[in-house]
Amino acid sequence: MTNSHKAESMVTESTQAGERQSEKAANRSYAAQVLREAFTQWGARFGLFWIALLATVAVFAPFLANSHPLLLSEGSVISSPMLQHLTMGDFVMLAVFITVVVLIFLNIRFYKKVLVLFATGSVTAIIAFMLVSPPQLTVYDQYRMKQAAGVYDWVVHAPIPYSPKDYIRDEGDTGLEAPLASEERTHWFGTEENGSDVLSRMIHASRIALGIGFVATGIAMLIGIIMGGLMGFFSGAVDMIGMRLMEIFEAVPTLFLLLTFVAFFERSLYVMMVIIGITSWPGYARFVRAEFLRLRQQEFVQAATACGLPLRSILFRHMLPNGIAPILVAASFGVASAILAEATLSFLGLGLVDDPSWGQMLNQAVQSSTFNWWMALFPGGAIFLTVFAYNLMGESLRDAIDPNLKKSAG
Amino acid sequence: MLLQVDNLKTYLRAGKNIVKAVDGISFTIDKGEIFCLVGESGSGKSITALSVIQLIPKDICSHPDGRIAFRCGDPGGNGERETLDMLTLAEDKKREVCGARIAMIFQEPMTSLNPVFTVGDQIIEVLQIHWPEMDDAEARKRAIAALAQVQIPDPEVRIDEYPHRLSGGQRQRVMIAMAMACEPDLLIADEPTTALDVTVQAEILRLMKELQERKGMSILFITHDFGVVAKMADRVAVMRKGKIVESGSLEQVLHQPQHDYTKQLLAALPENLKRQRDLQLIDNPTLIAAAEKKIDESALVELKQLEVYFPIKKGLFRRTVDHVKAVDGVDLKIPKGQLLALVGESGCGKSTLGRAILRLIDSTAGTIAFNQQEITQLQRKAMIPFRRDMQIIFQDPMSSLNPRMTIVTTLIEPMAVHGIGESKEERIEIARQILARVQLDGDHLWRYPHEFSGGQRQRIGLARALVLNPKFIVCDEVTSALDVSVQAEVLQLLMELRAEKELTLLFITHDISVVEYVSDEMAVMHDGKIVERGPTADICRNPQREYTQNLLSAVPRLIL
Repeated sequence: MTNSHKAESMVTESTQAGERQSEKAANRSYAAQVLREAFTQWGARFGLFWIALLATVAVFAPFLANSHPLLLSEGSVISSPMLQHLTMGDFVMLAVFITVVVLIFLNIRFYKKVLVLFATGSVTAIIAFMLVSPPQLTVYDQYRMKQAAGVYDWVVHAPIPYSPKDYIRDEGDTGLEAPLASEERTHWFGTEENGSDVLSRMIHASRIALGIGFVATGIAMLIGIIMGGLMGFFSGAVDMIGMRLMEIFEAVPTLFLLLTFVAFFERSLYVMMVIIGITSWPGYARFVRAEFLRLRQQEFVQAATACGLPLRSILFRHMLPNGIAPILVAASFGVASAILAEATLSFLGLGLVDDPSWGQMLNQAVQSSTFNWWMALFPGGAIFLTVFAYNLMGESLRDAIDPNLKKSAG
Repeated sequence: MLLQVDNLKTYLRAGKNIVKAVDGISFTIDKGEIFCLVGESGSGKSITALSVIQLIPKDICSHPDGRIAFRCGDPGGNGERETLDMLTLAEDKKREVCGARIAMIFQEPMTSLNPVFTVGDQIIEVLQIHWPEMDDAEARKRAIAALAQVQIPDPEVRIDEYPHRLSGGQRQRVMIAMAMACEPDLLIADEPTTALDVTVQAEILRLMKELQERKGMSILFITHDFGVVAKMADRVAVMRKGKIVESGSLEQVLHQPQHDYTKQLLAALPENLKRQRDLQLIDNPTLIAAAEKKIDESALVELKQLEVYFPIKKGLFRRTVDHVKAVDGVDLKIPKGQLLALVGESGCGKSTLGRAILRLIDSTAGTIAFNQQEITQLQRKAMIPFRRDMQIIFQDPMSSLNPRMTIVTTLIEPMAVHGIGESKEERIEIARQILARVQLDGDHLWRYPHEFSGGQRQRIGLARALVLNPKFIVCDEVTSALDVSVQAEVLQLLMELRAEKELTLLFITHDISVVEYVSDEMAVMHDGKIVERGPTADICRNPQREYTQNLLSAVPRLIL
């Protein structure tokens, strides 16, 4: 006891020096402070770097890996087949990404940023829906054949000049090829069983991995926090009903539900996200409920009630930030497990039909009689790194959100 | 000479910093003597005790200097004694000495017994470790005898109880029995009664003194409470910041203190504060008139037959089988401007009552009226205008402030809800003024709660209650987590504010000496009921009920 007292008094002394800084810090929002704290740690920086890299790669996937040339000149007419083949989703992603980057450097309130983001997202979606109509039929081989025939004046290819679904039929029956095995074509990560480029497929698959992780966990967290918060704060009958509801949802096996849905209905990414989301919220709800039950008895919450603060403020300003730490850690594992769930489905051959996904590529590593190491190493490594990055970020966020931990760490 | 500590230094490492927890202290303890180390929290008194018994992990502490010589009696009892240096003792020898020759009792009886073993198992284990040749039957017999010695009723039955079946006082007795089982030469008691109620504390202290006299052992007694010191000590040392500032016989230290710090500490005791105030009042009769005039006869808070029951639920369907009657039919009237002290031991329902008045806990039956308006059944929204007028300050300065919020956010949020101040800047200015009123710096606004000491945090709690300019404040054990000198400051501040803002206070406490200092009227609570109520001076001088008499006689007092 005496120990901690001493340490504490010294902390007070050392913080007196940084007084001006903390005054500045107080003018920043709470979220900004937490993020600033969290990402001073190298683990979190690595995690953030990897996720940011993945996000950038995912957004710019058509620019990075595409059989459609970025620019070409045919009879001195310059055109961009790549742009012509962009879908509505590509445009929305690009718009959202650029808005996010701009907003990070813009100094406005957090909720305004969220509003702006939603606005740009939906406006672009509507515009793209009306204007963008990529050709239904794509023939990837035409560019290579025309280039070989010397039709173009000049061509600018993407860094990886293969689309994920470009099976390179013009080269004959290619199939599985180890990295850099072929003389004529460069496949950095080799090719898969249909002959398409693995690196290209991985780049495009990162969209699915990130999307399913974020959206599914987001849905689960949203439901979990609201349900758990209400259960923990009100307890009694609300708690009783909520707990039974949670038990019902926990009894549903996610994977089998996914399998059933996939078997009966279409293989849609969105359905998967929603199913993973609504079957995994009880975990978050349990955490939030337990935290809120504990916090409800805390004197600062009672003091907030005694000051007559509105329920919204008590629940979300006073209690939630104090109870969010375990949820953040759980969420980082949640993102990871959502990615793994999708990978599992794809591994079982029940994922998306034609679209690339890391799990489906892993599946190919073991399917043929030989062990195709490049089909295991690259997608497996990507899954590992992504899951690891989320865990690192979750952990340092947890540290940052706890002011006691944060001071002793510094 | 049993224990001789020479220029002991214990440095603790906290991260990169070195804390000089004990910084060159020397003292001796003779055989059969009770030596009290007294000091405020953080003075290094517990670390001294832990150094003597070598319980601090080696990786966080170092002893750059000093010697602890312990003259150890042979457990065989053939009269041979050897002198051991505890600091350089080998690990296996140390294990032999600790527990057998030096035993320790800790502060918190709730956590110092292992909940998964029966109390008998825990005592027998100690016995058999130090006397491996002892068989089970013999060990059990001795364990029962040890329990009987500490006056546990039915020791033959209670020996097979698990710790959770015992009350706090009984657990502390078991701890003493365990410590005494091997008949040590030296017993180290680190705040052994701080977590206990006064009546239980009185019994435990009496028991310890009796055992000490019978067995002729020595006790190193660590406490912050001068009342306890006056009851127990033969000799006293006052510690501050790792150094002994003054030591001597009980008589000398308490009645002719030489060092300024000792004088300060003694002057800060509520008993003495009261005496000083009384002297002031006698000098200045207008103050008495002023104090009397403030009290208005109309009741600000009025409780009628208030009951708060907590259901005990059992079985598969959580049926309510019984109730815990925390507050059991309380009638109470608090006139405007009065400071009513609510006194009682832990578990008597005094905190529950305080919170029920503020509608933080729903009452089961009865009515609460505030300013002649009934608020018992008001909905959450309808309560909001009343919230402005009634506030609460809590006991634990650690948990009463939101650790995730800066002080400024904590202070201005209630103002915004109740429409005090036009803009954020204006509210920050008000918050700054109120912080200044509770003697804190304006710069403190931008800090987080963990950067403050306990006393500062308690002032912030006070500031939070004051921002809404309330009429009525419930003070729930506001000073029991604080050191005496800090307690004196906070109490004085509270008294000033009360006079200045004409506050009505319900002062909940277990500490009779604080009550005598602050309050005009007191109410004694026991088992959810108010057993006695009247002017503080009358009750303290001449208690009518048996319970009050017991309570008052158990208070360790320092008569100066």
